[in-house]
Amino acid sequence: MLDYDPFDYALHDDPYATYRRLRDEAPVFHNRKFDFWALSRYDDCLAAVRNFGVFSSAQGTTLEPIKAEVPTLINADPPIHTKMRHLIAGMFTPAKVAVLEESVRELARELLAPHRDSGRIDIITDFAAKLPMAIICRLLGFPKADEDMLRGLTDAVVHRDEGVFEMPDEGMHASYALYGYFAEDMKRRAGAAPRDDIIATLMAAEAAGDLTHEEVLGYIFILSIAGNETTTKLIGNMIYQLHRHPDQLAILRAEPDLLPSAIEETMRFDGPTQMMARTTTRDVDLHGRTIPAGAKVALLFTCANRDDRKYDRAEIYDVRRNPRDHLGFGGGLHACLGAALARLEARVAMEELLAMMGRFAVDESALQRMHSPQVRGFTHVPVEFGGAA
Amino acid sequence: MPKITYVQQDGVAVTADALPLMTLMETALMGGVDGIVGTCGGICSCATCHVWVDGEWADRLAPPGAEEADMIEGLAHRRPESRLGCQVPVNEALDGLVVRVPPAE
Ligand code: HEM
Ligand code: FES
Repeated sequence: MLDYDPFDYALHDDPYATYRRLRDEAPVFHNRKFDFWALSRYDDCLAAVRNFGVFSSAQGTTLEPIKAEVPTLINADPPIHTKMRHLIAGMFTPAKVAVLEESVRELARELLAPHRDSGRIDIITDFAAKLPMAIICRLLGFPKADEDMLRGLTDAVVHRDEGVFEMPDEGMHASYALYGYFAEDMKRRAGAAPRDDIIATLMAAEAAGDLTHEEVLGYIFILSIAGNETTTKLIGNMIYQLHRHPDQLAILRAEPDLLPSAIEETMRFDGPTQMMARTTTRDVDLHGRTIPAGAKVALLFTCANRDDRKYDRAEIYDVRRNPRDHLGFGGGLHACLGAALARLEARVAMEELLAMMGRFAVDESALQRMHSPQVRGFTHVPVEFGGAA
Repeated sequence: MPKITYVQQDGVAVTADALPLMTLMETALMGGVDGIVGTCGGICSCATCHVWVDGEWADRLAPPGAEEADMIEGLAHRRPESRLGCQVPVNEALDGLVVRVPPAE
């Protein structure tokens, strides 16, 4: 029987066969065990992200109830979302994040340096897990010494135990620890010379009465969670896909200008964010079924990205495709705020990795995955490298 | 709330009410306007919110910034009256604005 259970660890190994069946056999799927619905086709997911009046984010964008929640833009509808998003959206345009390129490259080289001569690296633990957190800490103005601790906490927030439909207590404690850290940071800032950065902008909005203190905490929280795990997983997934598709790696090596296209294709073909949830505000009739009002609906973005109703040869990895309209960053009002930053980080990371590694091979027997209903990717990608590519 | 009318490629005019602080792109999504996708959510990186704003209305808008102008530069259906909807905030003075939705790129 066709089932889709994002809390089942086995699904995380390879969800794509299940995804294909969902698109073909059950485009409006109902999971009885957890009582949620799932949309899997590209057109349906795109229509849902655009139609925020019917597919609301205000009851949360995870399927399971969240513990220790603070208000965030990702879990808000207009007009609250509009107000929050516009506060800092202008800081995340491609042109604004482009100035970070040199810092990203410096950090990347610093992380790679100890491994250059060894011929081995764990793409995740030695590199990809550290780079995005370092950049986000820099953007938020947190000290370098706190990076590892913060990453431990953000990892705990996204982890889900197998088969369990709720955040483990560790995740709740980690959330409180993060709020405490952010509140302390804001206190320190209040007494010091004003800075010109994201947190300063948010604090100014609080002072002006546009945001509550909780909303500022929630904003910093979502910025440190959303930009961390996902970018790490994108880099890991891309190294893995290039390892599995040597012909595509050869094309990319011959035509390095294809890198941005190859990154979009990796986002489409094996993007980290599998799904985001919405709640219906009225009955929705679709493909002969009725999703009732008030139902949780999973929008399966990575599944939609392999819909052959949308893309030719959708299940083929093609670094020339440049599919800029994939749903790997979502779409509509809530489309990823950090997408330009993620693209920049991924491009610089891949440039530096490919230049350092030359020929490389992933040790497939030692791959390990993270387990989360929403984000898919590796926790370990050990690679051996050396020699001309 | 200001009302904005979008004339779609199929000739149908859709009118939507903006909520406070919304842009032309966000207001278009309120009305489910065909042809305004908003792929990037307004970080000025997709141009799927392209609209044409005619004559006298165009003069009432702040001119496009450098990032918006660069994006428009790359569009096949660009015209002097091209704007990116996500970069144009709606306010009461724009009540009654009519914009046209260009063909898809
Ligand atoms: C490859 C890396 C990334 C992926 C795959 C990704 C994916 C996504 C997706 C799918 C959404 C839409 C959520 C929804 O529709 O409910 C989203 C939203 C968001 N992302 Fe990302 N993201 C990435 C990197 C980043 C980075 C680096 C940041 C850093 C600032 C970030 C910050 C956000 C925020 C703040 C939102 C909420 C936007 C809103 O609700 O208006 N993301 N992301
Ligand atoms: S919505 Fe992407 S550029 Fe306007």
